[in-house]
Amino acid sequence: MARKSAKIDLLQGTLDLIVLKLLRAGAANGWQLTQSIQAISHGVLDVNYGSLYPALRRLEARGWVSASWASSENNRRARYYQLTAAGRKQLEAERASWERFSQALGLILQSE
Amino acid sequence: MLDALRLRLRALFRGSAMDAELDEELRYHLDAETERNITRGMSPKEAALAARRGFGNPTQLKEEARDSWGRSWLERLVADTRYALRSFRRAPGFAVTVVATIALGLGLNTTAFTIFDAYVLRPMAVRDPASLYQITWHDRGDRVRGFSWRDYEDIRNTREALSESFAIRSIFSRIDSLPAYGQLVSGNFFSMLGVGAALGRTLVASDAAEPGTQAVVVLSYDTWRSRFGADSSIIGKMVRVRGQAMEVVGVAARGFGGLGDTPLDFWAPATMNDVLFDGDGAFGPHQTEAFWLIGRLRPELTPSQGSAWMMSWLRAHHSDARGRDVPSDATVQSRATSIALTPEFVIFFTPIATAFVLVLLTACANVANMMLARGLARQRELGIRLSLGAARGRLVGQLLTEAVLLALPAALLGFAISRFTIDGGVRLMFATIPAELGPYMRIVPLAPDGRIFLFMLVAAVTAALLFGLAPALQATRPNIVQATRGDFDTDVRPSRLRNSLIVAQVTTCVLLLVCAGILFRGVGRMQQLEIGIQTHGVVRLDLQERPGVRTRVLQLLHDRADVRTLAAATDPPFGHRFPTVPGGAADGPVQPISYDFVTGSYFGLFGIPIIRGRTFTAQEERVGAAVVIVSDATARALWPGREPVGQVVRLTIDSTSGALAPFRTRREATVIGVAANVVLGTVIDPLDSPVAYYPSSAENADMPVLVRVTGPQGLTARRIDSALAKRVPGSVEDLHTIDDYMYGGIYPFRATYWIAGALGVIALLLTLTGVYGVLSYVVAQRRKELGIRIALGASAEKLVGLVLGQSMRLCAIGLVAGTVLALGVARLFEANIVRLDTYEPAAFAGGALLVMLCCLVASYIPSRRAGKADPMEALRSG
Repeated sequence: MARKSAKIDLLQGTLDLIVLKLLRAGAANGWQLTQSIQAISHGVLDVNYGSLYPALRRLEARGWVSASWASSENNRRARYYQLTAAGRKQLEAERASWERFSQALGLILQSE
Repeated sequence: MLDALRLRLRALFRGSAMDAELDEELRYHLDAETERNITRGMSPKEAALAARRGFGNPTQLKEEARDSWGRSWLERLVADTRYALRSFRRAPGFAVTVVATIALGLGLNTTAFTIFDAYVLRPMAVRDPASLYQITWHDRGDRVRGFSWRDYEDIRNTREALSESFAIRSIFSRIDSLPAYGQLVSGNFFSMLGVGAALGRTLVASDAAEPGTQAVVVLSYDTWRSRFGADSSIIGKMVRVRGQAMEVVGVAARGFGGLGDTPLDFWAPATMNDVLFDGDGAFGPHQTEAFWLIGRLRPELTPSQGSAWMMSWLRAHHSDARGRDVPSDATVQSRATSIALTPEFVIFFTPIATAFVLVLLTACANVANMMLARGLARQRELGIRLSLGAARGRLVGQLLTEAVLLALPAALLGFAISRFTIDGGVRLMFATIPAELGPYMRIVPLAPDGRIFLFMLVAAVTAALLFGLAPALQATRPNIVQATRGDFDTDVRPSRLRNSLIVAQVTTCVLLLVCAGILFRGVGRMQQLEIGIQTHGVVRLDLQERPGVRTRVLQLLHDRADVRTLAAATDPPFGHRFPTVPGGAADGPVQPISYDFVTGSYFGLFGIPIIRGRTFTAQEERVGAAVVIVSDATARALWPGREPVGQVVRLTIDSTSGALAPFRTRREATVIGVAANVVLGTVIDPLDSPVAYYPSSAENADMPVLVRVTGPQGLTARRIDSALAKRVPGSVEDLHTIDDYMYGGIYPFRATYWIAGALGVIALLLTLTGVYGVLSYVVAQRRKELGIRIALGASAEKLVGLVLGQSMRLCAIGLVAGTVLALGVARLFEANIVRLDTYEPAAFAGGALLVMLCCLVASYIPSRRAGKADPMEALRSG
């Protein structure tokens, strides 16, 4: 699969992990999260905004993040998301399982 | 987790607010993105476009977000429910018919289940009912045998197969002139069953230690309430049981009525047996096998192991038995419920259960037809929704939601119907049986319990699936192209099944209604039948057979001014069928002949004319002389054309009663008189069946006493009863007018036509909805064809006639089949009930006409719809 684009699609389920990790640094609204993802991954990860908001709702429904309305830098009402205690635990669990996964994948790829 | 639940609930109830929130959030994102794009140097228009491009399809995004709230399945259910309710509002007639039909089926089944539950499933309200077993045994003569007191004590003390056991014997008596059912029990009865006392004490071991000493009685709670007005000072009072004064020592705990299927009124110590049963001898030197045995089977034993142990015990204890007396088998039967669920019972009950389930299935089939018709009518709507991308599962789900929504109110209504039929049935029974017989009826409580609600729920949901699934699957067949055109296959399903269903329904209907009509007319006529005897004013007394009682009672009756004639008979009219034995003229062939032992005054008392010869003399009565009076029909049958008086009758009487002992050895008697033909044991017996009367005295035991009284018979009967109760307490075991016995005899027929009539009406209702459902379906299916017919010039009347004709053809087949079956049943009636005139033109014509009218009404409404078929629609969709 020879793709010229430098951007890569997100693996299934990794968006949740990314959002939880970003929120660990502090509350943020949806737009800020997209900016952060692009900035931190140097624009490699292509986050479809369309999937971000359902993901946020999903995390909220599971009780991992909580949301509240607050005014943003440009003095507009924006919805801010914050990590809950359960979310913090989930982040640790997901980070651990991701590391196991990437190690295992690394071993397989290097085994040639 | 709580937060998550709150969010879901909020999503459900405040969904629109949350949608607005999402909108605002997305707007913010777009605005922020646009602003950033502008700061990067894009034109405002370009910036906004770029921001939106990053988003994809906003509607899809919203749907996804909404789904991730987990609100969807709940929301879908609410939406489906709303949609279904809306569609019911549009067709209220449909909804009402479906609910009523299913409710009828469910209600009937619940009624049957309630009765089944009360007798077969509900465990007895005693300690550990599951381990209780009744032990019985048979001998080689195939007689059911019980246990002597000695046997019982031995089994109780060995404790081998049964860890505990008690002995019981049923007893019938009158308490305060009302009939009472009781039991004589061993002293451990109450403690073993763990039944306490609501008042006073129960029976204890010392009550049943010494024979004949403890004249005490424990009343049941219900009897204490209904007969003694819940009198709290009842303890220590005396009641008379079979003439014996017994002290009330307690009232048993509420809800306990013994272990049988008839709730009992009282319990007394088993050791009172010889006092209450006239020296029966259960405690004498030759202990009689007066008792039944119930025990707790050891948990490690199966019932068959228990019966094996019992057989070995019987062999050891009846080793001296010979011939017919040798034990052949022992039965160990569970007493956990009123009626044990034995294979015999299952075989007996299965046809009844099947009949009830068939009613429910018919109801479901009718509704399924209506739903099919509706599904076809909605084909276009469903087709459009399918082509717009609605998932088939979603539509099936929606149609099933509709079915469940119809089934649930039907279950509620069905429950109400079942309560109503049970209460009404019990009330109707007590209202229609002669008032005198009411106190003899005992019914176990039929209150609803958890099992009944579970049954209703399962039955309702099953019904919903049955009548909802097939139409739902068919209506949503994913044939989009055809469906959007309003087109459909015409040979969707073989219509033969539906048609035979209708024919079967009409047949059943006619059969039931005709039978009800025959019985109705028959009972009406039964009361005016020529029975040959004057029953009015005759009272029957069954006396307590204690030494001296009979003589005193006869004397008292003789002295009373309101007693005109006094007689006695071993089998008074309308008691039960007369005993019948082989017999005949001494020199003639043998034929069945009924017999009765009567006093000479019997014929005068009932106004039966003596056609030839004379009646018995007092001397003949006393010695049981070898003379006989035969009926006119008997005389004609045995000695046609000859003088009967002086002929000899030979009869083989196998009577065990002491008073009739002479007849066991002597078999021949000389005819001294001929009596007019009368009805014998029951109302339905023919007048001309052969009968021979033998002489017996009123002084002899086991002869019910008959008196002809003056004045209103019921009142005089009660007056005699209370006078005797005062002078010779407990002397009368039973006292009724012969008319009561006669009405009691007619009652089963009356009950049968009530039931047949009720079932006929239910069948009629089901047929109505059945015809309606099928025709609606057929009309919906043929709408296009009908439209084309109209377009080609057919008149509306002609189309209505076409559809009506189709249904009337089915109806006619059913009518013929039903009438033929009814003729067969009538023949069956006539074979068993000789005095019933079964070929009742009125009953046949009435039943058939009623069913036909109903079929016409049921088919008229859908037929009219056929007349209104729109030709334009047919042409357009073609």
